[in-house]
Amino acid sequence: MLSILIWLPAAAALVGALIPARRVAGLLALGGALGSLGITIGLIAGYSGHSTRLTHVTNVDWIRSLGIHYSLGLDGLNLFLVAMTTFSFVLAIAAANLRDWERSRVFFLLFALAESAVLGTFLAQDLALFVAFFDLMLIPFYLLLGVWGGPNRIAATLKLVLYTFVGSLLMLAGAIALAVLTSEHTGHPISFALSTLAASPLHKGTQEWIFLLFAAAFLVKMPAFPLHGWMPDAYREMPVEVLAVFSGVLSKVGAYGFLRIVLPTMPAASVHFQTPILLISLASVIYGSAMAFTQTNARLIAGYSSIAQLGFITLGIFAFADQGAQGAVLQMVNHGIVVAPLFLIIGLLAARAGGSDDIRDMGGIATRAPILATCFLIVTFATLAMPGSGNFVGEFLILLGLFKTKMVFSIIAFTGVVMASVYALRVFIRAMHNRVGPQVQSREISLRYGLVLAPFLAAIALFAVYPQLQLGRSEKSVTAAIAHEKALTQTYDTLAGAIKK
Amino acid sequence: MSATTAGWLVLAAPLLGTMITAFGFKLLPGKTAGWIGTAAIAVSFAFAIVAFIELQAQSPTHRELTSSLWSITHTVGVNANASILVDPLSVLMILVVAGVSTLIHLYSVSYLEGDEGYVRFFAYLNFFVFSMLLLVLAGNFLLLIVGWAFVGAASYLLISFWYRRTTATKAGIKAFVINVVGDVGLVLGTFFIFRGTHSLDFLTTFHAAPHVFAKGSGGITAGCLLLLVGAFAKSAQIPLHTWLPDAMEGPTPVSALIHAATMVTAGVYLIARMHPLFQLAPAAEDVGAIVGAVTLLVAGTIGLAAVDIKRVIAYSTMSQIGYMIMGVSAGAYTAGLFHLMTHAFFKALLFMAAGSLIGAMGGNQSLDRMSGMRKALPFTFFCFVVGGLALSGIPPFAGFFSKDDILLQIGSRGGWYWALYVAGYAGALLTAIYTFRMIFRAFLGEPCAEASELIEHGHVFHPEQPTNPANGEVEDTGVGFPGPVHAIAERAAPMRIAMSLLALLAVIGGIVGIPKTTSWLDKFLAPTFADSTIHLHPSNGLLYFGLVLGTVVGLAGIGIAYYVWVVRPGIAPAVAKRFGFLDRLFVNKWYFDELIDALVVRPAAWFGRFAQGTFERLFVNGTLVGGTTGVVRAGSAAVRSAESGFVRYYVAFVVIGLAGIALYFLIST
Amino acid sequence: MIAAAAQLHGPHINWAALSPLEALIGGSVIVLLVGLLRPRFIREQVVPALTVLSLGATIGLTLWQWHTHVAAISGALAIDDLALIMTLLFAGAGIAATLLSWRGLAPRVSAHGDFYALMLGSIAGMFVLVAAQNIITLFIGLELLSIPLYVLCATEMHRAASLESGLKYLIIGSVGSATLVYGLALIYGATGATDFSAIAASISHGHSSDTLLLTGVALVLVGLCFKASIAPFHQWTPDVYEGAPTPVTAFMAVATKAAAFGVLLRVLDVMLIGERSNWKPALAALATITIIVGNVGALGQASLKRMLAYSSVAQAGYILAGVTVATELGARATLLYLIVYLLMNIAAFAVIIARERATPYGDDIDAVAGLGAESPWLAWPLTIAMLALAGIPATAGFIGKFFLISALVSGGYTWLAIVLVVGSMISLAYYLRVIAAVWMRPAPGPSIATAVGVPIIAGGSPEADVAAGQQLELTFVAIVFAAATVFFGIVPQPLFDLVQHSAHTLSGAL
Repeated sequence: MLSILIWLPAAAALVGALIPARRVAGLLALGGALGSLGITIGLIAGYSGHSTRLTHVTNVDWIRSLGIHYSLGLDGLNLFLVAMTTFSFVLAIAAANLRDWERSRVFFLLFALAESAVLGTFLAQDLALFVAFFDLMLIPFYLLLGVWGGPNRIAATLKLVLYTFVGSLLMLAGAIALAVLTSEHTGHPISFALSTLAASPLHKGTQEWIFLLFAAAFLVKMPAFPLHGWMPDAYREMPVEVLAVFSGVLSKVGAYGFLRIVLPTMPAASVHFQTPILLISLASVIYGSAMAFTQTNARLIAGYSSIAQLGFITLGIFAFADQGAQGAVLQMVNHGIVVAPLFLIIGLLAARAGGSDDIRDMGGIATRAPILATCFLIVTFATLAMPGSGNFVGEFLILLGLFKTKMVFSIIAFTGVVMASVYALRVFIRAMHNRVGPQVQSREISLRYGLVLAPFLAAIALFAVYPQLQLGRSEKSVTAAIAHEKALTQTYDTLAGAIKK
Repeated sequence: MSATTAGWLVLAAPLLGTMITAFGFKLLPGKTAGWIGTAAIAVSFAFAIVAFIELQAQSPTHRELTSSLWSITHTVGVNANASILVDPLSVLMILVVAGVSTLIHLYSVSYLEGDEGYVRFFAYLNFFVFSMLLLVLAGNFLLLIVGWAFVGAASYLLISFWYRRTTATKAGIKAFVINVVGDVGLVLGTFFIFRGTHSLDFLTTFHAAPHVFAKGSGGITAGCLLLLVGAFAKSAQIPLHTWLPDAMEGPTPVSALIHAATMVTAGVYLIARMHPLFQLAPAAEDVGAIVGAVTLLVAGTIGLAAVDIKRVIAYSTMSQIGYMIMGVSAGAYTAGLFHLMTHAFFKALLFMAAGSLIGAMGGNQSLDRMSGMRKALPFTFFCFVVGGLALSGIPPFAGFFSKDDILLQIGSRGGWYWALYVAGYAGALLTAIYTFRMIFRAFLGEPCAEASELIEHGHVFHPEQPTNPANGEVEDTGVGFPGPVHAIAERAAPMRIAMSLLALLAVIGGIVGIPKTTSWLDKFLAPTFADSTIHLHPSNGLLYFGLVLGTVVGLAGIGIAYYVWVVRPGIAPAVAKRFGFLDRLFVNKWYFDELIDALVVRPAAWFGRFAQGTFERLFVNGTLVGGTTGVVRAGSAAVRSAESGFVRYYVAFVVIGLAGIALYFLIST
Repeated sequence: MIAAAAQLHGPHINWAALSPLEALIGGSVIVLLVGLLRPRFIREQVVPALTVLSLGATIGLTLWQWHTHVAAISGALAIDDLALIMTLLFAGAGIAATLLSWRGLAPRVSAHGDFYALMLGSIAGMFVLVAAQNIITLFIGLELLSIPLYVLCATEMHRAASLESGLKYLIIGSVGSATLVYGLALIYGATGATDFSAIAASISHGHSSDTLLLTGVALVLVGLCFKASIAPFHQWTPDVYEGAPTPVTAFMAVATKAAAFGVLLRVLDVMLIGERSNWKPALAALATITIIVGNVGALGQASLKRMLAYSSVAQAGYILAGVTVATELGARATLLYLIVYLLMNIAAFAVIIARERATPYGDDIDAVAGLGAESPWLAWPLTIAMLALAGIPATAGFIGKFFLISALVSGGYTWLAIVLVVGSMISLAYYLRVIAAVWMRPAPGPSIATAVGVPIIAGGSPEADVAAGQQLELTFVAIVFAAATVFFGIVPQPLFDLVQHSAHTLSGAL
């Protein structure tokens, strides 16, 4: 079942690539993505969230000699991330279908491959498999950026790949070390199954250096300050349709990795590094926001705002409080369904501002495009996590969880909330309002493009009024993911209290 | 129909109105949208009355009804439903809000005529009313925060309604950001309270609070102070008030509805609603009271110096809310809410009148340009006077009873509250002065050009080249700019009706709370404040003294204004010159904008530029990227230089390597 | 005297076990003779065909001998899994090389017969080398492998570079051989034995810290490292690889290296196992140097062959790391990586040769610029090869690295694993540079389009199969090996089963 979910898009697109007709490729890719989306919706409907057990488990030996399994599983942790992925990809591919691409068949093949890889990463229940998908994920995006990107794309690809692969190769070493040492530690034959690894944690010292290897990979992927050096170039050059999913979906993989892999398998280390990670996240929040309200390139503003948002998410995870983790997972989904349309809209704005992403070249675009303006307005409010949006519920839970365990961090993090309102509205006003810019031709959004954006808005509305849809299903799994850390920190605190007395 | 059902319908009507106007914006011709919007709010008001009747049907002890539709979050101990709380307090609020809003919608039907954004305006306005009603009906903190933020958003949208005026967009973002600061305060305060009570639901929290929080303990005090931050930001109290005067960029009905009658009083409602918590944090209460007092004085002084007529009224609003905040913080809940109600009536009236006046001035708002409008705009003048008298607290107008009620309660607390009492009456004097300064300057004296045009040729003045009154920028009348039509009450029935009704209320509104005779409001609100631990029993002496003093002060103020601006017009500049320092202080609004700019805006911007220009370039790109690549490049250069292509060197390397290994082996053993 | 002659009878020879070797040598002779015939057809078509035939026979016989574990020629050679797997590898490389040079320049200038005969001879040498059981056969094997290669490098006689590379290889190769033979002599002197096992035995009886022996070990190590182009004995590699005819380079890059590591495994894990404690740190150090030097050196090389030469140095470093841990797991990882390495390298070289023939840019990176649009049938194999070399998942390269790292970690060499990883990070820079050229750069000026048939995946132009004729076998090789790379990246278990027992035949000490 999950295998179909993962490979359907790639398979469909491969067929499309082999049929020598122009339009077909895109439509087939879209069809495949739709199929996966359909499956996902079925899965959500079928998932109760009453237990932490994995459902729809697929588990077959992949490399017997190394104890690597092709094992997939679905639980409250990844259910909605998968949903968000399939959802965003469907719409991004649909948006891409509205444009003509040279060598469109390779384009859509890679696009669909990317989706399959991302889905694999979210569903993998075997560390080696996760690592494989994690690295594989990057190749399609590397080519999509490099071949169809903007003028300065080659340099961008190099930065992107070097940064992210440095991270993931370190993780590769870490993963292998984790499995091998665990098997030596327990005496059982080597296995990369996450359940096995989580069952018998290593000594604290060992955990700690392995933790660092993983953290490097995930923090680069997010990206987190100060490891975001690859972000500006890549975001500036990537086609918006690709960027929509890249920023919306891939950035979550890092955060997800912490919850799925690091926290369960390396609890002691996670607790040991709690404060450093929290500091990095806090820095990401503040630095990202500060950058966002000084940038003038709309894509970069959105990019730096994602750094800030991912900072919030990481804060939530490393708060080691139930609310924090729940909020983080909710926020991953929310950010995904908000930032994707944001980038699509930025694309539309650029098209109306003489092809420039710079907000100084925009202005007054709302005059003849009330619908576009409304869409943008809603997305903007969601981006700045205005109460009443799902993003607010997520941020509320994150900060509440952090408030319970690390009050100071939470209070400082609130500055990020204020700054978000500044940069988000700044973009909106500079683009849609004020005097009409010199190159600007205000034009209403086309019906077909409107149909692409509408589902995003619908999803935003849904999560605004009924985030419980996800929270109810994710609660068990998410709280289980941070259970070790919670216990550990609490014991430490009690010990500290005892020592004080 | 139960009170709660009515409550839900109160919410539903404006939401529906928003939907219809928003989705049908292309299909609604002429004034249809305006009428739809007005109707929606009228319906909402009707249901509010139903709710009121239903509530009164309940026995006094059972007048706190809640109802919830679905659960927004119900996980890891954070349980919040979409639930409303219908009790006397919220019913009072929905009555005031829906009632005033109906009239202002009615007014806008004509006032916005000819504006390119006519439909958008009513969509926004309906959305605002929905948000405001949500705010006051919310049954838990989450929903309160949502309503709180929604009204902020609506306010932003309406302030920058004429969005191609850069002044309007600037004012909009300013208002929004300061309101977000308020939201943050509210949320953090909620956290502090949640940490103790583990509940977001109002009633649960209020019942639990006394048991979990010791009176005056750190947690609850911090929580309440943060709630106050929210209240101050929303209600334009010092130092978070700077957005309100700028908010006058919005169309005048917006100023009347949001920035006078309803939204800005949300802070007052919040404190009244949270009174069980505030009573556990006396420190926070005192802070609220003092800030209120300071605000009412400062705003009054600025009102003396402002020349933009809408800003004068805005500062007066600030000042009046100062009274309310002071009142509710000092435990005079009913009095505070009483003033909230009456103020809604006469301040909305004043703004509407100002709108009509500005219409006659062809969009100009400067008092310096106006004079002798009395003959030109008799009805407007009448409304101005009624509103002005009510504002100045002249009996028997509404403001008289409510303001004096607040001061009476405060006085009766004795102790250092006497200082507030004095401040209150000082403020009352200022109020009377600046109010009638405004009226006299605009309506008495020689008719100005616009006035005479209206009187002689009988048509409203229209500048051939419309300009933005704020910065003189030339503008057109396209979308995002004010429409070409300038409406005045004398010519537009809907405006006249709305203003007449409000004028009536401004006159007789006080009837609900005439001390000793009709204390209807006290009785009505009693169930809500039954649990109040502050019991005030003002002596009759103080009561009568206050009533007299209030009257005297009010009349004195009017007298001074008459003397300075009518009898001896030359005196005002002389006084200004005489007290140059004070004049500059007032004209520059006590330099609050400059202060905030220096303390917050500049540092933030500097940090942004630093991050942008220096850190990102030098560290993130320079060191992290450049450094590593540099090392690798150097290595590659070294390797290649070793690759000379000469066999002899290669052999040399072989020999050296060999020697190295051999040596290692020999040494290692 | 007659009686003496009667007394004197040679050692028992197990002809069946040696059959692969016989096929190779026989093939070599036949090819040489047939190559003397006049008709062009025979020289240009039959000779390569015969070469492939004999190599095919070798493979067949190897499979026939599978799992035999016997000592042939009274223990001079051991026919065991290690040797047989290696033989398959050599033969595979040989076939590939034959196809690559089929219509190439090198065989034409030097007579076809000589060319292929030399190649077969060198493969025979490799067989002897990896099967060797005593130091004498080891040295014979090494020389039999090297001398033909010296010549092959120089076969494009009109090209100075080719001659130069041949000469360089000869000189430095001789230095290497000299070092090796001297080391072997010393070891013999120290232990008085020539058999690996005997030497091992005498070492274990406490000569382990004998100066003479240790010096010998050092010399032997250097000699073999030289063949495997381990830094700092690698420096001939770039020059020779660049100068030699590309098919020969491809052959050397995979086969020679494999042979060198095969014998390294034997020498270290059988003969010198007793010295483990001594040579392990040394090898670790060498591996580290090699990984860094190789990867760093490959950066920014304009010539693809030179770039691949450095990359082969780096890869040698990885493989050496596998040898270093001196565990059965390590040995298996080494073998597996050698196989993987063969697949991806041949694919890459096939494309480079195709471009050398199609464009005026030789092996410069410009030759592959815009390939993605022009002929996807070559672009994809090259892309896959590069990704595999970089160790990206879903390619065999990933599996190989994965196995190596896990062997290192479980062998207690985690730090070396990290070095390996850092090396791979650097390597991305130059491997992806090629991919970027293929897909993201336009073709520099006009060049003979080389796609085959109707391009299926994107791009490609109708007039694509102009010179397709003489590219067919190249494209074929490229696609086959690239496909294998991907296949074993997704279904690697067969490889693991293949190398499963290979290490048993190494010393019991593992």
